[in-house]
Amino acid sequence: MSALRAGSLLMRKDLRVLVRSRALLAVLIGYPVVIAILLAIALSGGDRRPTVAFVNLDAASGRTVQVGDERLSIEDYATRLEDDVDLVRLDPAQAQDALADGRVSAVLTVPRGFIADLQSGLKPPVLQLATNPRSPIEAQAIERNLESGVFRLNQALASAYVAQVLNLVDLIQDGGTVGIFGRAGTLLGLAQSDRALRQVQAQLRADGRGGLADRLDPLRDYITGVGDNLELAKPAAQAIASPIRLDIREGAPGREPLSALGIAGALVVGIGLVGVLLAAALLSAEREDRVLSRLGRGLVGPGTIIAQKALLAAVACTAVGYVLLGVVALTTSVAVGRWLLWLPALLLAGLASGAFGLLVGALARETRTALLAGLMIALPLAVIALIPGNDIAYWASALAGFGPAARTFQGLLVDPEVASSTYAGMGILAVVALVYGVAARVALGRRMHS
Amino acid sequence: MHDALLRATGIARHYGSFEALAPLDLEIRPGERIALTGPNGAGKTTLLTMLAGVHPPGSGAITWSDAARGHVGWVPQRPAVYPRLSVRENLMLFAGLEGAADPGGTADQLIARADLQEVAARRAGALSTGTLQRLNLAVALAGSPRLLLLDEPTGTLSPDQRMRLWQWLDGLVAADGMAIAFSTQSMEEAAARADRVLVLGRGRLLHDGPAGTLDDAAFLAMVEDA
Repeated sequence: MSALRAGSLLMRKDLRVLVRSRALLAVLIGYPVVIAILLAIALSGGDRRPTVAFVNLDAASGRTVQVGDERLSIEDYATRLEDDVDLVRLDPAQAQDALADGRVSAVLTVPRGFIADLQSGLKPPVLQLATNPRSPIEAQAIERNLESGVFRLNQALASAYVAQVLNLVDLIQDGGTVGIFGRAGTLLGLAQSDRALRQVQAQLRADGRGGLADRLDPLRDYITGVGDNLELAKPAAQAIASPIRLDIREGAPGREPLSALGIAGALVVGIGLVGVLLAAALLSAEREDRVLSRLGRGLVGPGTIIAQKALLAAVACTAVGYVLLGVVALTTSVAVGRWLLWLPALLLAGLASGAFGLLVGALARETRTALLAGLMIALPLAVIALIPGNDIAYWASALAGFGPAARTFQGLLVDPEVASSTYAGMGILAVVALVYGVAARVALGRRMHS
Repeated sequence: MHDALLRATGIARHYGSFEALAPLDLEIRPGERIALTGPNGAGKTTLLTMLAGVHPPGSGAITWSDAARGHVGWVPQRPAVYPRLSVRENLMLFAGLEGAADPGGTADQLIARADLQEVAARRAGALSTGTLQRLNLAVALAGSPRLLLLDEPTGTLSPDQRMRLWQWLDGLVAADGMAIAFSTQSMEEAAARADRVLVLGRGRLLHDGPAGTLDDAAFLAMVEDA
């Protein structure tokens, strides 16, 4: 009896048993898929609006600043920020308590003299943001949100200031009443200056003082030159106000946004749990059915049993992975591509988690224990694998292959070119599968012959 | 060894510091019916699992004749079949694993021999204790054994089931001429069903002789002295 034939017979037996064990199948595949979908939704909710305490220490001044035709107050400023975050207006002590208790994600403070600084234009006004160091990921998200808000407000202010400058240019050219940056007065304007000079020259020439009138010509040339240059400055000033414009158009409706992290997380948890639980259950069931003593008498070696069940787990994981990716492609805005390249990635991830589950199954005495132990070990490791940019979390979760799987999946989803790190991730998955496969084979061999 | 199916020389086994079986020599010849008896923990199952190849001996060696090599059937005490597969599927699987060219045909033959026709399509997990034990035995026959090793085959059966099982087993042995070695807690069963009785106590072979030569008093004295 060749190992291949024995393996294929056991494979058919396992498939038959699985098809007949609907409840077990629901637990082994349905549960991880449901968890994966819920996780994807939860992780995609990362763009939810954080709650930020708003402390206005400049409220007593009651000052406002005139920008162009608009008169801005602190409240106007807060209202604009509310496009990005939910603001809760608190005093400094309340805000500090709320941050410490976790009721708010950050505290945004408007210091005294903010409006005065804004009005003077002499030094840029500063906002103070305090975040909770215990929630670094959320703090980063808030910083990005508020930076985005401040950027847009700055852009609006810059546009208003440029408009004022352009007003001033018009005043310099045409003359009129000045009221800008806190200054007031009346300007003659270049056009009127030129007109006045021409009248003076005409009068001088009529009085026979043509020489004196000619000496005013350079002054008139200067006025004309300044006027022409100021005309050129107008489009330049507008360009400075918004050097790059973003044209935002709404896409086709009906698709939910989902992040690459959410998809990768769903795949890691889904595949990880399916692989670990399925493999652990299949192997421990052989023991629970007491057939290992029969199989171990030379009918099937432990290596064949391990290889067959690891392959079955990997195929099941690949199928689940493709189903999840298909759901993502059909129902979300994420463009899933590289369908062929997903095959080795999903197979290797399934092999790694399956081999890990086989080790659990070989060590456990019964199926229930194997499932419980598999779940208790795999679930936290899978969740740890989703912590971005943390090497300790990565290597801890790599114990079951989840960390490399997460990076490989994210690489396939977002990298414009498939990076060497994606292939390296697949290599690590192969090594993890091999190590746990060998360990499971040794453990099973001892079970069969001890 | 000219006519022995199996010869064990100095086989022994320890579990840690516990001596489960002291060094023991044993020969089993074709057609022989051997009963292994003795109190709990005497080493009966340990000896049978080593002879069946389930566990390797800790020391010593086991050699098989050409006729017996690869043709030793093993019937564990508790049925070792897949409860979610039907009777026929179980037999087909094990016949396939034993290398049968036509697993389906072999399964059908085994079903007929074990009188399992009525339950052939029924899941093993739904069988009565007696029928399940017959399936357990039929699986062991899938490899056309010359020697059948049975670990307390009637231990879980009611008297009538026990009687029917022995009638069927007697028929099989008579038809195939295979040797059997079985363990039992019952001296009566050993005397009635075997032509040679081995008594084990505390991992040692205390007696090896023809059935019916050991009365109750001698057995008790032997076991208590061990």
